[in-house]
Amino acid sequence: MIDPNEIAGHIGDGVIPAYVYSDPEVFELERTRLFPRSWVFLAHQSEIPNRGDYVVRRIVDNSLIVVRDLDDQVRVHFNMCLHRGMQVCRAERGNASHFRCPYHAWSYRNDGVLSGLPFHEDAYGGDDGLPRAEHRLLSPGQVEVHNGLIFANLDGNAGPLSGHLGDFAFYLDLYTRQSESGMEIRGPQRWRAATNWKIGCENFVGDMYHTPFTHRSVVDISLFREPTANKRKEGVLYYAGRGGGTTYKLPPGDFHHGMHHVGYPDDMIERMAGQWSQAQRDLVGRDGFMVSAATLFPNLSLVHNWPKIRGGGSDDDVVPFISLRQWQPISATETEVLSWFVVDAEASEEFKEDSYKAYLMCFGSSGMFEQDDIENWVSITTASQSSMARDLLLNSRMGLRGDDTAITPPLTDFAGPGFARVGFGEFNQRNWLTLWSTHLGGGPIEDRHPLTPYLDRDAGQ
Amino acid sequence: MSTIPAPIDRGLPHDHARHLIACHFLVEEAFLLDEHRWDDWIVLLTADIRYVMPVRVTTMANAGSDTLDDMAHFDEDHYSLAKRVERLGTEHAWTEDPRSRTRHLVTNIRTGDGPDNEIRVDSSVLLIRSRGDDRPVEMLSAGRRDVLRCVGDGTNGSPDNSDGSHGWRLAVRWLTVDESVLRTQNLAILL
Repeated sequence: MIDPNEIAGHIGDGVIPAYVYSDPEVFELERTRLFPRSWVFLAHQSEIPNRGDYVVRRIVDNSLIVVRDLDDQVRVHFNMCLHRGMQVCRAERGNASHFRCPYHAWSYRNDGVLSGLPFHEDAYGGDDGLPRAEHRLLSPGQVEVHNGLIFANLDGNAGPLSGHLGDFAFYLDLYTRQSESGMEIRGPQRWRAATNWKIGCENFVGDMYHTPFTHRSVVDISLFREPTANKRKEGVLYYAGRGGGTTYKLPPGDFHHGMHHVGYPDDMIERMAGQWSQAQRDLVGRDGFMVSAATLFPNLSLVHNWPKIRGGGSDDDVVPFISLRQWQPISATETEVLSWFVVDAEASEEFKEDSYKAYLMCFGSSGMFEQDDIENWVSITTASQSSMARDLLLNSRMGLRGDDTAITPPLTDFAGPGFARVGFGEFNQRNWLTLWSTHLGGGPIEDRHPLTPYLDRDAGQ
Repeated sequence: MSTIPAPIDRGLPHDHARHLIACHFLVEEAFLLDEHRWDDWIVLLTADIRYVMPVRVTTMANAGSDTLDDMAHFDEDHYSLAKRVERLGTEHAWTEDPRSRTRHLVTNIRTGDGPDNEIRVDSSVLLIRSRGDDRPVEMLSAGRRDVLRCVGDGTNGSPDNSDGSHGWRLAVRWLTVDESVLRTQNLAILL
């Protein structure tokens, strides 16, 4: 039997038992204790713009229909007929006023209510024996929307979504609210890889250290000018609420200059300036940091990069893109990646096409960054299954001295909320893993959300 | 993303000169890909190449489409394909070092009629990809809708350059991948 407290203790010491990246018992705890009790991302409203539009998504092994009903309300239904348990929707997207089970033709309106079944009178004595209005497809305990992002909490006990996002919402806005209209989303590309889902989450939450080496080839070919080692360590790592991320240091200049440096056109910069708070603008204009990768617990990640998408011109002729991705666990050793392209709805068509091109070249199923990441993660997952790995504690102490004090102090004057530090460190990964390990213990909800990062003992909190 | 070319209604007889040119091109191209001779493969593309593999989705039969019209796995021009090939040639493209061992099996080739300097050709490709020593073989199957164009002063069937590439170039490739969820860890390969 694995002991969640022992795992949490190791993480508190800055080491990770290697087996957590493939152990079936750990996966079972994640399946039964973590995912049903957390807020989990499902879809974006722009994927279902019209009444009746639906997409089918998963929370681990649960198939969920995310649909805009006939009253324009977003609903989430568990995809299983109340009669014999067949899936009532077998497509992954479409438009439907009703979902009808192909087995015995029980039909549900898209708001989930059972509306019809054959021989209702003969077989059940009508609504007296089987009152249709009282029968509806199961739903998650809570469904909420933030910036168009639809989240669900299966057990209904996770508290409000705003509490889950906490101060991470400050950073999430930078990716998903660049204008009053918010974002559009395309995709997802979907593919499966033989990797544990946590490795991608940890990579995006704070691994600036891998960029110069894993992604060296994209610098070799002048696709992305930034990820050299010296440039990368000038960035800030931040952690706030239940998420954290990485940034790049911008050259000196104001907000407009910083946004322009990564390729945003004037009209988009104006809209962002009007949409973001003074503190959000200061992150770029005063402190000089541009957000890049990030993860919101448990398994939603974001990335923002700015490659060069055509030949000729200057090295500064770059185009930014944003991707949203979910690391959907299939088993302890397999993950389905869902990767969307995100763009501001008010951007020009020309920008949208260029940004889409930038996305395809860098991330997603064929992306030249992502290819090398997943190669590494498959290898980690494979090695972690071996018997010698059972006793291996992986070193996750970057940023700490032997006495657990931090090499670099947290910034005291930083525009964003949470903790922020310049340079390489695994503070964010440890925070993410701490939250993860607390979930495995299955304690009460308060205990599941430690807001004080472990191993930050000189941070003065 | 422009729209997918319609399938060829009725293929030419297999002894037709256009069909023989198309078969020759596709088989030689597959050979270059399996030999990892990507620099030679790039030579086979026109400067205005369009190379697209849209995302395939599972939809009900009456939905009208099972392909996303605004999201692809590949949506490439000459610059981006050249960058992919250039990357594979660096010493730091880890996912293809060690190399995948691949077999591009090209079959069901159907050739259309048309102008002398352009050939529409449809085919099926099965990519078998073997990596390392502890992973199962990965497969990817797709339909292709291609346009081959004869460049330079060559005409139908008359090779016009000395490097053996026959003067025919790939101008358009539209890939209809059969999986909605790819079972390969990445698309560091070309189809």
